[in-house]
Amino acid sequence: MRTDIVRLYRVVHSWVGIVSGLILFIAFYAGALTMFKEPLAAWVTPPRAAENLIPLDRGGELVSRLLALRPEAAKDFSLILEPGHGQAGALRLEWRLDREDTAVWTAAMSHDGRLDIRQEEPSAVAQLVDDVHRTAILPGDLETGTVITGIASALYGVALVSGVIILIPSLVKDFFALRLANSAKRLWLDVHNLLGIISVPFHIVIALSAVVFGLHDYFYDSLDEVVYGGRMQKVIAVADPPPRPVSRGPYLSPADLLAKTAAVEPGLIPSSLHYQRLGTPGAVVRVWGDDPRYLVRRHGFLALDPATGNVVSTEYLPGHQGNWGATVSAFFALHFGSFGGDLVRWSYFLMGLAGAFLFYSGNLLWVEARRRTERRASGPVTQTRAVTLMAAATVGVSLGAVAGLSATIAAGRWLSALESINTGHLVIYYAVFLGACAWAFWRGAGRAGYELLWLAAGATAAIPATSLLGFVIPGLWVSGAGLGVDAVALMGAGAFALMARAAARRAEDGPADSVWSARREHGTVTAAQPQAAE
Amino acid sequence: MPAPTLDPNSPIRPDWWSKTIAGTVLGFTLAVALAGLFAWAGPGGVLAANKYQFVMWMIAPLWLAVVSGCFLFRTGLRAWAWLGGANVLAYAALLLSRGPLP
Repeated sequence: MRTDIVRLYRVVHSWVGIVSGLILFIAFYAGALTMFKEPLAAWVTPPRAAENLIPLDRGGELVSRLLALRPEAAKDFSLILEPGHGQAGALRLEWRLDREDTAVWTAAMSHDGRLDIRQEEPSAVAQLVDDVHRTAILPGDLETGTVITGIASALYGVALVSGVIILIPSLVKDFFALRLANSAKRLWLDVHNLLGIISVPFHIVIALSAVVFGLHDYFYDSLDEVVYGGRMQKVIAVADPPPRPVSRGPYLSPADLLAKTAAVEPGLIPSSLHYQRLGTPGAVVRVWGDDPRYLVRRHGFLALDPATGNVVSTEYLPGHQGNWGATVSAFFALHFGSFGGDLVRWSYFLMGLAGAFLFYSGNLLWVEARRRTERRASGPVTQTRAVTLMAAATVGVSLGAVAGLSATIAAGRWLSALESINTGHLVIYYAVFLGACAWAFWRGAGRAGYELLWLAAGATAAIPATSLLGFVIPGLWVSGAGLGVDAVALMGAGAFALMARAAARRAEDGPADSVWSARREHGTVTAAQPQAAE
Repeated sequence: MPAPTLDPNSPIRPDWWSKTIAGTVLGFTLAVALAGLFAWAGPGGVLAANKYQFVMWMIAPLWLAVVSGCFLFRTGLRAWAWLGGANVLAYAALLLSRGPLP
């Protein structure tokens, strides 16, 4: 590899990295947590009383009684099959009056036939984690945030290519070199390179799919204009026709529909029946489920005519899709890690955390590279304002997001008594996140570095601590459902505490002229200093 | 962002702004054209079930490949010339392959 090309791409790499690094840190850290959305949701949800359980064969009764009482639900509702109950499953109906409604109506029936209809606001904590993952900074306006993350992902794709180009010459030589003996900066660089290189396939998949998720509206608009001559909707209607059954009731029972589904694909593990437009000629039921043998978009479904049980569409049923549909589903699955069960889920969790570390260390290396080379004879190293601010932003944004997410998860059980839990979750996340950012700029990166790590450790430890307090504080509770969350949070808190100790030691004993030193006086930072040529 | 400097004797001139804009803009239009060419002339024809989704997914890798590679052009001007030429060819091919839609 020619050295001028390597040098060129080093510049490309550091600039795209520094522009997108902080957004990507948040996206990766929160993305790692989304691998365990269900356990997180279970952790914050109070244990439900078990009396509302009826067997599957009474599902038809539940549906018809609901529709008699609440005809407005007929256009769109789901019959949830509680996992782990199999054929004798517990059944629950869910519907929303419109798409934007955060509150969910639920109906359950007890053994004596009593119908229990209520409006619930499910905890948004899993959704909040997902929103932070997709938008990094702006859960208030999902669309703008998603576009920004999409652009950051495009920069990340370029950072990936340029990073590989930079490393090609030295790949053989110091791939596994962790130069512990030399400087701390060298070690950070080695870990950054090693993590980056070993996870290249994962990062390629994530970068490309994240660009698509963030920018697909623009891509489709461009294709419509240029490729389909403004008639893309027609193309979609032919290439992906919405299911159009033509029969009205009477409808088959849920048990019969599941039997029809099993006849088509016995491998599908059904999780819910999603009814649409019941009572009209367009009535359709989508049997949603998982099939661990295939790469699917989170879940797949089989569309049936609810009156006859005839198959309406298999285009989203794992194993029955056309080639193009199956390929696109595979792209989704590779982003979400929705294949291969727990092994892949844990791998994605760890690779997500490793990815977050990649961006954190990238920013750190940028900061180090921008410091004027130390010359012992010529006095203290000068720090430019850009370096000082970037160091503070790195510490504040990254650790603020970590602490904010932990705090808002931990608060889930404490908030359960409140009317509006979900506003509380948002307020807590933002208070901690913005507070940490402000703290980092006020205290400087050196001090804030370890102080915010202690904050992250404390906020994360608050998760298992809350579970423990469930034994003594009325209103809180102890539940086995969230035990895994408690265990992982405990380990996370321990890891943050170790990092905090190491960072504090460096701040006290490391070189006083470093941005990471707590002893450095702010007075030596001057904007007027001429910037050293890189 | 301030343009960082490279060795002026380098056979590759950095031309950061010029190359970056060429790669981003012409790379995007090129990616759309190539994806569209695949939609019309690729296997299955334009109306194959769910192919339009695959076609959309093609844009990201094509676009990022061009953006990543455009710094290899010797100068910014060459980046504009080559990518501009590639665009003209790709759009000509796309127009030729387009047929009637429902």
